[in-house]
Amino acid sequence: MLSRLNFLAALIWLTSSVFGQTQPSVIARLPLTTRAEIIARAHRLANHTWVCSAPNLHASCSKSYSSDWKTGQQVTGIPYSWGGIDGPEDFDRKLAKGLAAGGHSRYGVLSCTTGIDCSGFVTYCWGIPLSSHAYGTSTLREIAGKPKYNWFTDMKPGDVLNKPGSHVVLFTGYNPDGTINVCEASGSAARVVCRKTTWSRFKGYIPLEYKGIDE
Amino acid sequence: MIRRYRVLSFVLFCGLVISSSGDEPARPQAELRLIPLTRTVRIPVSMQEIQPTGKIPLGDPATLMVSPGAQDEPPEGPAAFDVLDDGSFLISDPLRNSVSVFDSRGKFRQAWRIGFAADSVTVGANGLILVREASTGQLHAFDLQGKLRPSEAAALPQAAEARVLTGNSGTVTVPPIGSAGGRTIEVRLDKPGLRLLSIEGLGTDSQGNTYVALETTTGGEETEGINLNKSVRKYAANGVLVCEVTDIPLDYYVTPVDELRVRKGILYQLMTGSSEVRINVWDMN
Repeated sequence: MLSRLNFLAALIWLTSSVFGQTQPSVIARLPLTTRAEIIARAHRLANHTWVCSAPNLHASCSKSYSSDWKTGQQVTGIPYSWGGIDGPEDFDRKLAKGLAAGGHSRYGVLSCTTGIDCSGFVTYCWGIPLSSHAYGTSTLREIAGKPKYNWFTDMKPGDVLNKPGSHVVLFTGYNPDGTINVCEASGSAARVVCRKTTWSRFKGYIPLEYKGIDE
Repeated sequence: MIRRYRVLSFVLFCGLVISSSGDEPARPQAELRLIPLTRTVRIPVSMQEIQPTGKIPLGDPATLMVSPGAQDEPPEGPAAFDVLDDGSFLISDPLRNSVSVFDSRGKFRQAWRIGFAADSVTVGANGLILVREASTGQLHAFDLQGKLRPSEAAALPQAAEARVLTGNSGTVTVPPIGSAGGRTIEVRLDKPGLRLLSIEGLGTDSQGNTYVALETTTGGEETEGINLNKSVRKYAANGVLVCEVTDIPLDYYVTPVDELRVRKGILYQLMTGSSEVRINVWDMN
């Protein structure tokens, strides 16, 4: 009986040490960043101004693609592109090469478009290198924890509101009327925007706090 | 001694009864009138599909169009609306770059091909319709026939300024309208266990009644994610609370930008679903 218990205890220890190590190692590799840096990155993407040229209206790799923009249009905000992870420098470079500006899920993930999507946006703001689209709304929990504070009063700029499988936005502050300010890569707005919004928009969302915050 | 004590107690008791009835006259407290859902207007939607040829059919123009969304992309579709004086609806149809007009029962009247996706529609006081372009934030002005007008006339009405003061109180400052000066309405939430989250002024009618949306919650650490309630109150010109619509449904398929509108004392809510657009109507008159 005792040996069986010993065996069980050893098994539990072994399992926890094997599976428990992946999470800390991921967190240990996360770049540290301050909340001010997160908000500055968000505003940089939301305020990035660009002009849509004729080649940027067409996606060479998609028959169904339709652009949100017009030729010569000056736009503020990196365009929304489903599956995209482009920061301002990559976006400008790809735009100059003639890639299509932005795209939606109805056209699929396209290699011939440039822009950023909702989870790409928050991970960019958190300072995570964008060599690959490593985290989506369903996997953000690996690098961001559910805070224990009161969600309605104690969120801090740089936290996010996440609905796994659907959407994620970056929280930037509360307003005197009780509404909140967020920045997001929005499909319906076709670009990165910062705006004031009511809470009802976020029913079912869960706040998350990036694990690499340098407080 | 005991008898004296009993007499004294009786006198004190009588005194208490008289003083309490004199302080607070036994008048029944006015019950807050709760407004039930009056009706729902239903408008069918077409689900956006891409054909093997790569074409996206526009579908029946008498419907509104929604996209199914995908992993990490919420569905898109009508998120903006407003109500004309005759009760007909202007609803954005962003996937078709148009604004559609439906009568007060939901019957299709016409579609304005505005050439851009709109995320907000507002009927202005000067009879112009202000439509916001989703991808730029720019306002465009249209007349009631859907013709583009000079955008210099495009200015959104001044919004009321709201402020949450405590977990159960706040204020709404109504801007001056015409010759009537502005005023401040005190908002109190007297519902045990509920905390006031936000206050939003929805507008003031011609009688001076002001409509205020409140968001409330029971807590802040729910396991199922953020949960809240939304209600709309009507305050008379003298600041007295008149009636309330409670428990407004919030299970949105397409998240609205123009969530609530009030026209002639009637509250409207836009709820775009995967099979129909519902407009919930509460008559607060």
